[in-house]
Amino acid sequence: MFEIDSGLTTNEKLEILADAAKYDVACTSSGVDRKGKKGALGNSVSSGICHSFAADGRCISLLKVLMTNHCVYDCKYCINRCSNDVVRTAFEPDELCRLVIEFYKRNYIEGLFLSSGVLKNPAYTMEKMCETLLLLRTKYRFNGYIHVKTIPGAPDELISAAGYLADRISVNMELPTAESLSRLAPNKSFKTILDPMGKITDTIASHRVAIGKGARMERSDINKHLTNSIFNKDNIKTQLSGDEQIRLGDYRIKNSLSTDNTFLPSAGDNSSLTRAFAPAGQSTQIIIGATPETDLTLIKTTQQLYQHFDLKRVFYSAYIPLNDDNELPSLDTSVPLLREHRLYQADWLLRFYGFRAEELLSEDRPNFNEKLDPKCDWALRHLGMFPVELQTASYDLLLRIPGIGPKSAKRIVTSRRYGKLDYDSLKKMGVVLKRAHYFIMCNGRMMYNTPIEERYISQRLIEDNNKENWQISHQNEKYTQMSLFTDFKMEAGV
Amino acid sequence: MHIYTCEDGFENMMCCIYAAWEGALVSGHDNVRLVREPVEQVTFFDEYIHVDYDKDKFEKVVRSIRNKISTEAFYYVYYASLSAEEDALDSIYRFLVEGFKKGALVIYQYTVPAVSRIMEIRRNVGNEACHFKEFARFNSLDNKLYVCHLEPKNNVISIVGQHFADRMPSEYWLIIDDNRSIAVVHSKDEENYLRVLTEDEMNSLKRTEFMEDEYTKMWRTFFDAIAIKQRENYACQRNLFPIWMRKHTTEFMK
Repeated sequence: MFEIDSGLTTNEKLEILADAAKYDVACTSSGVDRKGKKGALGNSVSSGICHSFAADGRCISLLKVLMTNHCVYDCKYCINRCSNDVVRTAFEPDELCRLVIEFYKRNYIEGLFLSSGVLKNPAYTMEKMCETLLLLRTKYRFNGYIHVKTIPGAPDELISAAGYLADRISVNMELPTAESLSRLAPNKSFKTILDPMGKITDTIASHRVAIGKGARMERSDINKHLTNSIFNKDNIKTQLSGDEQIRLGDYRIKNSLSTDNTFLPSAGDNSSLTRAFAPAGQSTQIIIGATPETDLTLIKTTQQLYQHFDLKRVFYSAYIPLNDDNELPSLDTSVPLLREHRLYQADWLLRFYGFRAEELLSEDRPNFNEKLDPKCDWALRHLGMFPVELQTASYDLLLRIPGIGPKSAKRIVTSRRYGKLDYDSLKKMGVVLKRAHYFIMCNGRMMYNTPIEERYISQRLIEDNNKENWQISHQNEKYTQMSLFTDFKMEAGV
Repeated sequence: MHIYTCEDGFENMMCCIYAAWEGALVSGHDNVRLVREPVEQVTFFDEYIHVDYDKDKFEKVVRSIRNKISTEAFYYVYYASLSAEEDALDSIYRFLVEGFKKGALVIYQYTVPAVSRIMEIRRNVGNEACHFKEFARFNSLDNKLYVCHLEPKNNVISIVGQHFADRMPSEYWLIIDDNRSIAVVHSKDEENYLRVLTEDEMNSLKRTEFMEDEYTKMWRTFFDAIAIKQRENYACQRNLFPIWMRKHTTEFMK
C-alpha cells in the first residue's frame, strides 16, 4: 500500500517514526476511567499513568509514533516538512497494532498516540489512521487508551470515525494567531484548524448529553468552590464580547450561528462498537518562541480554548530550532524552557486555582516575570490582601497564597474545623512554608517577623527561586569537575 | 513498659493490637508499645510479650474498627500494615486510640500527630504502589506467560496485582516480590492469589528477567528515540523515576 522503503525492519521504522513524533508534546493518558473486560486487553485510569521517563525528563505514557513521516505539507518549523531530506517510511496498520499490543502486555505503555505526516492527501492519511484504530479495537480487542491527532483538512466522516475509536482526539493549533500560521504553515489555515475543533467540541457535547452527562467536560472538583473559575458558567458568558485581541470565542459563536450543522456526521460502520465519542475530550498544542506572540496572547488564547472549545488540555511546546529558514529564529536560538515552564504554571493556575488570564498579565505587562512564578508574582502585586489568617480564610483565598495548592488547601479547610492549626501541622499537610510564610498568619501570628514590603519579599523569593530557574533554563548543559590528569594531561609522580 | 511483638502480616498485627489494648487497660496506653518482629535492638528494662494469631481476636479488632470508627479508617490501617516503616504498627495503635475516642471524624483531624503520622504512612504506601503500577515490566515466556520482578520497600504487590487483574484479565501473569519471595499469580480469566515461593522456584524464576525478545529491543529503541536531545535533563528524570526503582525495568537494564 505504501510504496516506498519496504526494506526497513519494524525496529528501524519505529526508530524513525518515534524520532519524528517526539516533538509532539501531549503524552497524557488521562481523562477517562474504563474498567477492563474479560477477553479484551486493557483498561484506563482517569488520573493517567506514566510508564517511564526519557532522558529529557518528559514522561512516556503512550507509544508516540507517526503513521508515516511522508508529508506533502511544508510547515516551516517541522522536521518532516516536504523540503527536508530525511529518511521516510510508514507503518503498516497491522504491524503497528502488534507493536501496541505487545508493548501493552509488557506494561511499557498505556496506549497509543497516533499522529501522522500527510501522505498523498489528508483524507488518505486519515483513512489509514482510522484503519489502524479499527483493527486495534476489533481484531486485537484493545481496550486501552488511544490518543489520535486529526490531520488538518481531513473529511468530517473520518474525523468522526477516529473520535469514536479513540479516547482523546486533538487538532494541533500550532500557532496562536492566524498571521503566524499563514506565515509558518502555508498549507494550513485557521479555518482548517478551528472548524474541526469546533465540530469535535459540539459532537462531544451532544454525545455527552445523549448518555446523560452534562454537556461540558468534567473539570477538577475544586472549580465548583471557586467563584472566579474560568469554568464557571457565568464567567464564560460575561466574557464573550469583552475581548479585543483574540477572537477565538467570537469565531466560534459566529460559526455556530451561521451554519446549521456544526456536528460531525455519525460514523456508520462503527456503531456496532458502541463506544463513546472521545470520552477523554480534546486537546491541542501551541508552539512557543517561533513567533513574536506575547505570553498574554498565549494565555488568553488558552483561556478561550478552555471556555469556548471546552478543551481538556492545552499543551505548550518550546520551539526547538530544527530547520534553517529566514522566517524562523536562527538555528542557535536557545530553547525557551523557562518560558514554557511559566506558561504551564499559568495554565495550572487557570485550571485548578481559579485564576483568570486577565489577572495574571495585562497589556502593560504582557510577559511573565522570568524570575518569579506567576502566582508569587500575582501575590506581590496584591500585597494588600496579605497576610491571610489561615484559620478563617475562604477556600478561594487560600488557593491564592503562594505555597498552598489544592491539596493542602483542602486539608486546611477540613482540619481547621476540629482544632487549631500551627506551623508544624501545616508543614505536615504539605504547605510549602518557604514561600508561604511571607503571606500567612496562624492564630494571629506570622511565622517570622516579616515586613510586608514588596521589595523585601520579592528579593527573598527571587533568591529562593534562583537555583531552580537556573536549572530549568540550563537543564541540558553539563559540567564536570576539572581534573589535572584528564584535562591537563599531567602525569602522576611516582 | 510492655512491648508487644508479632510476626509481620495484617492478621498478626491486628491480634497484637488486641493483646496490647488488653494490657493497656491495666497499665495505660502510654505504657505499651508495639513492634513487629524481628526486634532489632532489645531494650533492657522492658518486658517483651510475643502475640500469636488468633482468629477470634483478629475478627473482633477488624469488626470494631469498621463499626466504631469507619471503613475509611480501616483502609488507613490496612495500608499502614503494608508499610515497611519501623513504627508502622505502633502508629496504627496510636491512631486507633484516637479513633475509638473520636469516631469517624478522626480521619479529618490532621492536626493530631497520631493522625497525621498514619496519613503519612498511608500516602507513602499508596504512592509506592502507584509507582510500581507504572514501572512494573513484564517479560514474556513464549508469548504466553508474562513475568514481572519487583523489589518494593513496602509490601505493595497485592495492590499492584489488583491493578493488573483489571487490566489484563485474560492473560497469564506473575508478579514477584524478590525481597519477600511472594508472588501474585493470575491465570486466564480467574482471580489473583498470593503465593509464597520456595527457594528453588525463586531461583528458576530469576532467569526470566534476562530473557530478551524483539520487543525488549524495540522498547529500548523507542525509549532512546523519544528523548529530545536539546532538552536533556537527567536531574528531572531521576526525580520522576528514582534510580532504586529502575532495577528491574527493561529500558535501564543493559
